Amino acid sequence: MTIQTAVLIETLVALGAQVRWASCNIFSTQDHAAAAVAVGPDGTPDDPRGIPVFAWKGETLPEYWWCTEQALTWPAEGPNLLLDDGGDATLLVHRGAEFEAAGQVPAPADDDPEEWRVILGVLADSLAADPRKWTKAAGGILGVTEETTTGVHRLYEMARAGTLKFPAINVNDSVTKSKFDNKYGCRHSLVDGINRATDTLIGGKVAVICGYGDVGKGCAESLRGQRARVIITEIDPICALQAAMDGYQVSRLDDVVETADIFVTATGNLHIITAEHMSRMKHQAIVGNIGHFDNEIDMAGLARLPGVRRNNIKPQVDEWIFPDGHSIIVLSEGRLLNLGNATGHPSFVMSSSFTNQVLAQIELFTRTGDYPLGVHVLPKVLDERVARLHLAALGVRLTELSKEQADYIGVSIEGPYKSDHYRY
Amino acid sequence: MDGIDRIAWARRAMPVLGLLREEFGAEQPFAGRTVAACLHVTAETAALVDLISAGGGEVHLAASNPLSTQDDIASELAARPGVFVHAKAGVDRAAYYAHIHAALDSGPDLVVDDGCDLVNTLHAERPELLPGVIGGCESTSTGVARLRRMAAAGSLAFPVVAADAGVTRRMFDNGYGTGQSVIDGLLRATNILLAGKTVVVAGYGPCGAAIAERAAGLGAQVIVTEVDRVRALDALMRGYRLLPMAQAAPLGDVFITATGSRDVIIDSHFELMRDQAVLANAGHFDVEIDVRGLARLAVEVNMQVRPHADEYVLGNGRRLILLAEGRVVNLIAAEGNPAAVMDLSFAAQALALQWLASGQADLSAGVHPMPGWIDAQVAGLTLAALGARIDELTSAQEEYLASWHEGS
Repeated sequence: MTIQTAVLIETLVALGAQVRWASCNIFSTQDHAAAAVAVGPDGTPDDPRGIPVFAWKGETLPEYWWCTEQALTWPAEGPNLLLDDGGDATLLVHRGAEFEAAGQVPAPADDDPEEWRVILGVLADSLAADPRKWTKAAGGILGVTEETTTGVHRLYEMARAGTLKFPAINVNDSVTKSKFDNKYGCRHSLVDGINRATDTLIGGKVAVICGYGDVGKGCAESLRGQRARVIITEIDPICALQAAMDGYQVSRLDDVVETADIFVTATGNLHIITAEHMSRMKHQAIVGNIGHFDNEIDMAGLARLPGVRRNNIKPQVDEWIFPDGHSIIVLSEGRLLNLGNATGHPSFVMSSSFTNQVLAQIELFTRTGDYPLGVHVLPKVLDERVARLHLAALGVRLTELSKEQADYIGVSIEGPYKSDHYRY
Repeated sequence: MDGIDRIAWARRAMPVLGLLREEFGAEQPFAGRTVAACLHVTAETAALVDLISAGGGEVHLAASNPLSTQDDIASELAARPGVFVHAKAGVDRAAYYAHIHAALDSGPDLVVDDGCDLVNTLHAERPELLPGVIGGCESTSTGVARLRRMAAAGSLAFPVVAADAGVTRRMFDNGYGTGQSVIDGLLRATNILLAGKTVVVAGYGPCGAAIAERAAGLGAQVIVTEVDRVRALDALMRGYRLLPMAQAAPLGDVFITATGSRDVIIDSHFELMRDQAVLANAGHFDVEIDVRGLARLAVEVNMQVRPHADEYVLGNGRRLILLAEGRVVNLIAAEGNPAAVMDLSFAAQALALQWLASGQADLSAGVHPMPGWIDAQVAGLTLAALGARIDELTSAQEEYLASWHEGS
C-alpha cells in the first residue's frame, strides 16, 4: 500500500470500480498513502470519504491476515474481481472455500510455519461464524489479476491441480511488467534500500546475489554499477551461463559465504541463506532479501542459534551478534528490503506494472467470456499498448513501419510486432 | 591499397590535423622555413608532413627506425613538391645515418624527432648547423630522456618541446589507443570470445585500467594484479577482483601484462595455469612474461598454431598459448595505436612547431614540457572534430573562480 498503489486505486475508482484494499506485505505500507486513500480527495480525517483500506506499516502476522480478510469481506455483494500481489488474497479465498467444503479446518502440524498457523486460525474463526463465506466469495469472483512471479507460480500450481476456482490473468508475465518491474525496479530500489539502511560504500565491496532471474539481473547490474564485485549463485544452468557470459563470477554460496560483504536473495525459493551460512559470514556482512517472501533467509533458524543476540539499530535494520562477538546486519527481517528499507519500485516502473493490472481488470470485467477458467497472459497487443503509453514521458520517438516493411515481416502496422514466444 | 590510398584512409581518422591544415594553409606559419624530421615513415606521419607543407614549410624526412618505413608511403611523399624523403625499409645502420645526414643537409630551422637520433647526430656531427636551428619537438619518452641527459651535460643547443607527456597525448595513447589495440591484438591472434572468460590484467596503470575496462565491457570477469597499493585500491574500488598473481594464475583464461616491469609472469605461475590459457604482453619490452622460462618449462613447442600464437605444452600436459612471442601484442598482432591517437600527438607537435617558428616562444636551450595551452587547443580541436560543443564560463563565473572572498 504505497503512493503508487494509491494512484492505481484512484484509477480503478475513476473507471467506476468499488474498491476495498489491504497490503500484501507487513512492512511495505506507507501509512501516509494508506491514510490519504482512506480519507479520499473529498473527505477529511474526521469525515473520511475514500475507500476502506486495511493496512499499516509493521503489521503482525495475525494483523496482516485480519486485514486481508477485511478487504475480502464486503458489506453486501462482492467482490467480483481480485487484484492480487503475491497471491495471499487468492489463497485465503481458495483455502477458505476448500475447508468449508471439507467442513473443517485442519489442525496445524508441529512443523508448520508460524504464518500457516495464523491462516488456519483466521479460517477456523470464519468457518465458525459463516460456513459458506468463502464459497460464496469464490462463486462471485469473475477472476483475479496477479502481479508477482510468486503469485503466478501458485496460480499455475492450482490450475494444474484442478483446484483453481476462477480465471486468472498473469500480469507478471507481461513484458512491460516482468522485464520492467523485476529488472528495472529492483535495479533502482535495491541500492536505494541498502543505502538508506546502512549508508555503506558499495564500491569495492563483494556482493553475492542469489538467483539470476529478472530480479537478480537487475540487482547484479545495480550493484555492479556502484562498482561492487558481484558474485552470482544459481541452480538453473541457463541463468548461470547468462551470468557468466555477463562477466559475473558464478559460485556456490558455501564457497564465498565467508568472504563477501553483501548478500541479497532473489530466488523465489526457500532456505537459500541458512542460519549456518549467516554464522560463517564476516563481521558486519549485510544480508537482505528482495524475493517476495521472507523464507529465502532463515530468520527463525538464526533466532534459534544458541547465544545469538539481536540488536535493533533502527527500524528494519538489525544487528545479529553471534556468541563469538562477530555480527551481521540483517535488513527488513529478511523481508523485501527494497520495500522495507526504501520505497520499493519507483513510480514510473509501477506505472508500467499497474497499467497492465488495470488493462487486465478491464479485460476480465468487460470480456469475461474470453477468459475461461485457467491462467492467461494479457494479449501482446495490450502489452505493447502499455509500453506505447509510456513512450512520450521519456521523449521517445517511435519509428513507424511502412506498409511494405510490415508486409515483409508479416505483421500489421499497429502490431502486435512479435510472436508470442519472443523473449525480448 | 597503395600509398596514396593509405594516406587518405589515415587522414579520415585524423580530423584534428585536417582542421589545422585549413588554418596553416591560410596563415602559412612555416613560410620560408625548412623542417628536418626523423619519424616512422607511415601513413600517419604523412599527414603531419602534409600539414607542415600546407603551412609553407619545406620538409626533409628521414626514418626513425629502419624497420618501420613503409616504402609506398615514402615514394608517395617524395613525389610531393617541397617534400624530400630519405628513407627505405630494411636499410643497414650506415644507410640509416646517411639518410639522417641527408635530411640535415637541408640546414633546418626546425626539427622533429622520434627517439633523438636526428638531434643527437646534429649536435655530434653537424655542429655548424646548430646556430640556424630555432628549436624542435620530440615524440617519445625514450628520446626525451636522451635530450634531458644532453641538456644536463650542457650540450643541447636549442629548445625542444617534449611531446611525450602532454595530457591529451597520455589520455589517448595509454587509455584509448592502447586499451583498444591490445584487445584488438588479442582477438585477432586468437579469435576467442571474451564473454564468460576470466581475464587477468597485470598492472593497473593507465594502460592496464583501460584494458581491464574493455575486457569487462566485452563480458569478461576481470582480475587485476598490482604491486602499487594506491593503484590496487583504485582497481578494487572499481569492482575488480584483486589477487596476487600466484592466486590469479590458476583462475585466468587470458593473461595480459601491462606493468612496465619484468618477471611478472614466471615459471611458478605457468605451472598453475589452466590448459589453453592465453598469455599476452602489452608493455613496451618483452620481459614481462618470462618467455625463456616458459620455453625451459615446455616439453613441446608448436610455433604459429595461428599467426602470432605459439603453443607451449607443459609437462603436466597443459597447453599455454603465448601471443607475439611476449612482445607488445597491440603492435604485433594488431596495428598499434589507431590513427586518431597520432592525430592528437602530431597536432600538439605541429602547434609547438608553429609556436617556435613564430618567434614568440622565447625558450632557452633545453627540454620544455608541452605547454598547457597547446593541450587545451588540441582538446578543443578534437571536440570540434567530433562535433561536440561545451559551455563557456561567464564573466561572473570567471570572477568567482578567481576570488577567495565569497564563502558560505
